[in-house]
Order: sequence, then C-alpha cells, then structure tokens
Amino acid sequence: MEQPQGRTGGKIGIKEFVAIVVIMIGTKITDDTTALLFKPLLNAAWMVPVINGILAIIPVALLMKVSTHYENKDLIDVSYHLFGKYIAFFVLFILWFIGFCFIVVDTAIYTDIIGTMYYLRTPSIVIYGLLMFVCAYGARKGLENIGSVAWTVYPYLQASLFVTLLITFSQGSTNFLFPLFGPGALEVIKESSFTISIYMDILYVFILFPYVNRTKDFKKGTWIAFALIAINMALALISYIMLFDYHSVAMQSYPYHEALRTINFAFLTNLESFIFPFWLIGSFVKFTAYLYINLLLFAKLVKIEQFKYLIPTFATLIVFLGLIAENPAVTMHQLKQTIAYITSPMFFALPILFWIVAKWKGEFKK
Amino acid sequence: MLQKLFRGKKEKRAYNGSKLDGDMSKDNSEKIDSELTKTVNIFKTIYSYPDNQDVTIRNIHINGLNKDGALLFISTITDTKVIDEYVIEPLLKNQDSEVKIDDLVSVPSISKTTAIADICTEVNNGSAVLFVDEETQAYILNASNFESRGIEKPENETVVKGPKEAFIEKASTNISLIRKRIKNENLVVETQTVSKRSNNVAYIVYIKNVTNDDIVDKVKSRLHTMDVDAVQNLSLLEQYIEESHVSIFPTVLNTERPDRAVSFLEDGYVVLLMDNSPDSLVVPATFWSFYHTSEDHYLRLPYGNFTRVLRLFALFVTLFTSALYVAVVTFHVEMIPPDLLLAIASTRELVPFPALFEVLLMEIAFELIREAGLRVPSPIGPTIGIVGALILGQAAVEANIVSPIVVIVVALGGLSSFAIGDISMNFAIRLSRFIFVIAAGVFGMYGMVALFTLGVFYLVSIRTFGVPYLAPMTPTYKSSKDTIFRKMLQNEIFRPGYMKPKDMKKK
Repeated sequence: MEQPQGRTGGKIGIKEFVAIVVIMIGTKITDDTTALLFKPLLNAAWMVPVINGILAIIPVALLMKVSTHYENKDLIDVSYHLFGKYIAFFVLFILWFIGFCFIVVDTAIYTDIIGTMYYLRTPSIVIYGLLMFVCAYGARKGLENIGSVAWTVYPYLQASLFVTLLITFSQGSTNFLFPLFGPGALEVIKESSFTISIYMDILYVFILFPYVNRTKDFKKGTWIAFALIAINMALALISYIMLFDYHSVAMQSYPYHEALRTINFAFLTNLESFIFPFWLIGSFVKFTAYLYINLLLFAKLVKIEQFKYLIPTFATLIVFLGLIAENPAVTMHQLKQTIAYITSPMFFALPILFWIVAKWKGEFKK
Repeated sequence: MLQKLFRGKKEKRAYNGSKLDGDMSKDNSEKIDSELTKTVNIFKTIYSYPDNQDVTIRNIHINGLNKDGALLFISTITDTKVIDEYVIEPLLKNQDSEVKIDDLVSVPSISKTTAIADICTEVNNGSAVLFVDEETQAYILNASNFESRGIEKPENETVVKGPKEAFIEKASTNISLIRKRIKNENLVVETQTVSKRSNNVAYIVYIKNVTNDDIVDKVKSRLHTMDVDAVQNLSLLEQYIEESHVSIFPTVLNTERPDRAVSFLEDGYVVLLMDNSPDSLVVPATFWSFYHTSEDHYLRLPYGNFTRVLRLFALFVTLFTSALYVAVVTFHVEMIPPDLLLAIASTRELVPFPALFEVLLMEIAFELIREAGLRVPSPIGPTIGIVGALILGQAAVEANIVSPIVVIVVALGGLSSFAIGDISMNFAIRLSRFIFVIAAGVFGMYGMVALFTLGVFYLVSIRTFGVPYLAPMTPTYKSSKDTIFRKMLQNEIFRPGYMKPKDMKKK
C-alpha cells in the first residue's frame, strides 16, 4: 500500500484519528439521518444516540478486542485470517459495497442539501462535481494529510456547531421535550435498536487500525470519538425538538439547515450563511475520509497496490450514480432507510461473529 | 571591469588549450615553474596582462636573500595598503640572509601552494601571490578587500523594540554578526562552491551539537547538485534549492535580520549566507516562520500575542474580504441585515458591471498602484499616491465605474495585506486572494469553501526538506508550540521536534 511521506510513514496520531472519526460520523446529525429517528420516536428521538451508543459498545468492544489482538493487521487481514479466503472476501465485499452505497447516497443527499438550501438555480451536476473533485483531491493526498486537515478544521467545526446549538437552545422551548419517553420507554428501546446502523461507520474505522501510531491511541481514540459523536448527536437532536417540536421536525428532511434558517443572533437575522462554510468544510472532509477508506478496502480486496489512480475514476462514478435519483430528498432517503434496516443487525452481528470465531479458534490464547 | 577580466581569462584559456576549465579547483595537475620568468609569463597569459587594467604584477628584489620575486594581485579587490606596508616593505628592507619568507611578511594569513588553479582561485578572491625565483611554491597572502557598504538598519523587517542591525552584502561581515550573537565553538560555518564559472560560495551555518545531521546533509546535497555557471546571490540560490518551483507557497525563509537568523540557528535550523546578499536563507521554513516576526518575541507576552492576533486577522481579511463581498452580493444577499443590504444596493444601482468584474477591476488597480509605487523613481513617488487615491478612488466612484463600498472593501484588503511582512508569503496571500475572488464569483460561498479546503489539503501536504509545512500544529510534534500564539518565554522549553535536533531541551 502506498505510504505518504512524512514523520511516521503515513501514520496518524490520536488527535488526527479522533478528528477524522468525529467528522466522518458526527456530521450525520446535519443531514437527513435525523428524519429516520424522528418518525418512529417523536420527541424521544434524542435518546437514540445515547441508547444506541450504549448498545453499540458491545459490538465495538468485541471488534476492538479481536482487531487489536493482531498488531499491524487491519480489519481486512484479520478477516482473512479468521474466516479463510472465500468467506472473508464475501463478507468484506458486502461491507465494501454497503460503504460504497453509503457514499453515493450521502453525497447525493449533501448535494441536495446544498442545492435546495443555498443554490436553487445551480445544476446538481455542477455542485456534485465540485464536491467530489475536492474529495478526490483530498483523498489523493493520503491518510496522513486527511488526518492533518481534519485536526486543523475540527476545533472550528465543533465551535460552529456549539454556537448553533447554544443559540437554538436559547430560542427553543424545553416544554417540547416532554413527555420524556415520547411513545413509551419500551418503544424507544425497541426502535432505537433498529437504527443502530447510525454507528455502522465505526466498522470502517477499524480498517484504519494499522495506520494509527499506537494500539493504545487507536483504542482510546475510538472511544473518545464515540463519546463525542453520541454527545453531539443527542444535543443536536434535543435542540431540533426544542426549536420545532416533534411534529414539524419529523416532516423536515434537513432539520439542521432549517434550524440555521430559523435562528437569529443580535442584528444578524440570517445565520445560515455564516455557519454554512463550516458545515461545508466538514462535509468535504467527511467524504474525503469516506472515499479514502472505501478505496483502501477496495484496493485491498482486489489487491491493487497503487489505488491513488483509482480515486478520480471512483469519484466520477459516484457523481453519475448519485445523479440518477431525480429527487434525492425522497428517493435517496428511502434507500438510506432500507440500507439502515438491513445493516443494523449486520453491524451488531458481524463483530460478535468475529469474536466468536476468534475465540473458537483459540486466537486469544496465543 | 570584472566582466572583462573573466572574459579575458576564458579566451586565453581556450587559446592556451590548457586544462583550466570552468571549475578550476578540480584540476590541480599544472604546477608553477621554479624559474620565475616562466611562472610570471604563465600568469600574464592567464590574466591577459597588461590588457587587464587592475591586474598588477610587481617585480621585487628580496634583499638579504638576494632573490628575485614577483607579486601578483588584482588591485581593485586587494588591500594595497596592507601589501605595501606588510609585504613589499619588509621584503625590500630585509638584511638577514637566513630568514624564511614566511617570517618576513607580516600579513595575518599566509599559505603555500604549487597548483596554478589554486593560485588563480586565491587571486580571484582578492589574495596576493608571491612567486620567488628558484622556488616551486607560491606564497598566498590574504589581503582581500572587496568593496561593500557599512551595516545599516533593516529596510524590510523593521521593529520598534529590538536590535536594529541588518545583514549587508559581505558574507564575512554577516558571519561576524552571527558570531557576535552565538559565542560558541559549536557554531560551524562551512563553505561550498555553488557555481562553476563565477565560483560563488555559499556559507552553510549551523550549530554542530544542535542541528540534525540529516538536514545539513540534505542542504549540502541540494547545493551540490546545482549545475550552473553563476549564482549571484541568495534570492537566486533560493530558487535552485526550494522544494517546488511553481507552488505559490514559499518553502525557504529569507531574512535580513541577524537576530532572527540566530534564533533559527538556536532552534536547529540551517542558515545560508552568500556574498552579495543583504540577507540570509533559513531552511527549512514552515508556514509559521512566515507568519511570525522577530518582534513577537521582543514584545512582552500580551503585546506580542496581540500583534499575532492582528496579523492573523489581517491575513484572513486579505484573503477573504473581496471574495466575501463578491459571494454575498452575487449569491447570498440574505446574509446581510436588510438596512445594509439596501445601502449596498443603492450604491450599486448605477454601476453597470457585475460585482466580480467590479472587484477584480479595483483589485488590479490596487496591485498596479503598489507595483508602480515600488518601481517609481523616488523624486516622482508622491505623484503616484495622488494619482492612485484621487483618480482611482474618487473619480472611479463618481464615474459610476465602481461603487464606493467596493473601494472600501478593496482598500481594507489591500491595507491588511501589508501586515504580512514576509514578501514571499505576502505574494502567496495576494495571489490566493485573486483565486478566491474568482471562486466566489463563480460558486459563491461554496466555491470559496471548496477552494479553502483544497488549499488546506495542499498546505498540509507540503514538505520542505522533509518537514511538514504546518508542523508542529499538525502533524503534532513536541515543541514550544509557537504557532498562532506564542507562549511565555519561561515555557518555551523545547526546540521544534520536527527539526529532530540533537538536543531537544532549550532550558
């Protein structure tokens, strides 16, 4: 695999790692993922990241145990080691394919957000093209640089989200949060488990394991990132409910951007254009990381050494696949929901499977 | 005159068919003759004597020893007074028949050599050479005296508080200015010839027990791989050794302040000096070294950081104001409060151009004033200011070519650009500003952010002599964390880790 030049031969530190993971997964709160939660759970939707977070500890911890057991082996090598050539290839191929679908769906949705919220008259292909161009450029620079960029911009992104949340809280009503359990405590737990796939992306993070400086950093970093994501998501969901109430928020595709349009601060009546740049940077970095990890997986699967040259091809492919949907806000959202229902049990089961096989083969005793 | 000298030398060499080619130091096979007249004749041919005006050959009879001798030097670059008093006079007045030549002449540095090529090098560097009959060795007497100006105040990197000496065009003086600040035997000044025909020498300065050997080796090998006839000064040398020749971001720092160069030396960097350059090169340079000035550390902590904040602000204002104006007016009108929006709209009402064109027009006008102001002969300098301010500002607004707010926006950006002191970074920022304006005109905020993201990706991927451009911020290294803000001097304990210094701790 290519090794970008630098201090550690392409490895990243804990700060960069956490920044990548948080930006990759945390930005979900600003797209239509929220709609998946609000529909069944009404005003208790904000509990999903917390409940799911607790549930997801099990698969993540098990996978962590298996994966960090082998130094210098990433998820791919580990699966080959545990499952053998054919089953591992099949599992990883499915994983890659799901990841690829996620990228197509998500980039299409983000393009739709930019198009419908800010650039009504610009053709989608132009917006989409620029988005993927930036991501392809970033992905070509390699993991070390993606990490550096993520870490450079992360504090500002977090600050911008924090400011938005603060203003939203101050302009919302706490009464909307009650009754606390919305449709009922049992219902909340049941429905939460169906949407555990919001943390699915953590699986892909394990591919980065050999590229993080130290095993300790990887373990610590994953948990820190995990906690940060859960807190950010829960807070953001609370703020949406407080601002819009559950009824109207469930009807919105992109509540984050609606919230930005609704809030105002001092003499600035429209804040969205001030926060928009930060959100955009976050989106660019997010898809750069996604694209890189997905291609890393693909390259390993089909044994391509220099996958750098694949990046422009894939980026173009994603643009054309993403443009197929006429109305991404509806169709892509439907697709996303379907994938979420399929992947949720998979996300839960796969790490457990890894662990059981490893245990059965007596790997931990070695 | 010098040109003539070199040209003459070249022709004669060709005529002689001798092996004395461009790089003379490589060919040491030809030796001087023990017969004085023969030797003198060889050098007369080499130096085109007597066509060459300032080449002097003085025949003397050494009393006491009763031998003939000849003194060869170039009078314009040699201290003739020293030669008169300490060489010719003792030789003529000598009565002792047993004494050696070494003991007779009283110049501080004397050496012997036999090779013609070496002698030429020394003479070209301002030394005088003494040939003595029946001796196969020539005496090289160091009495060089190149003309240069005295030490003056820095012109470009001015400070209010702090030392006010600047480098001058004489490398030996510059080294002395550095040695004055680092009184330590570990300060090493190596030389390396960087050009073949003009024999320009670069001085590689570093602290032996601090600077990482790898970096010194890298610098040396870059200098070594240069294959050029002449490199006049450091500004040209910089372009030969820099990382990427087309990148808009500089990777080698140019400073005219000895105190600044020394602070880099103490952190384990390598400094390059050359004759004819009133500055020094610091390699490798990170983004932060262009952003900092020496005064940041001379001022007390709060004041120093206040200027840092101002500079950061200025940097962003320079980069983004014009672009933001274009983006807002073209795409994001909802961003501005309605009252201001109406004010802008009313001033733009009569302007026939789109905002992008309007801003570009003013930006280019501003750059023109700047460039013209720089090149204009000083007696007519004030005229430029009047023409610029009056015609381009006032009249353009009255003629409805640009709106007054654009004048404010461009002037603000232009003014802020002066806060970035380093000329290379200044250019980088100004050029980026144009790209941002165009991106804003095409895609609004989306284009600006896309360009910004591309820029950050590019910045973090730059490596200069193996050092990441944004280090130590990212990737993280152990250091004193002197990036956007500086720390208390007491807390600046470490040398920058990305330089891999041999001694990490400063305190």
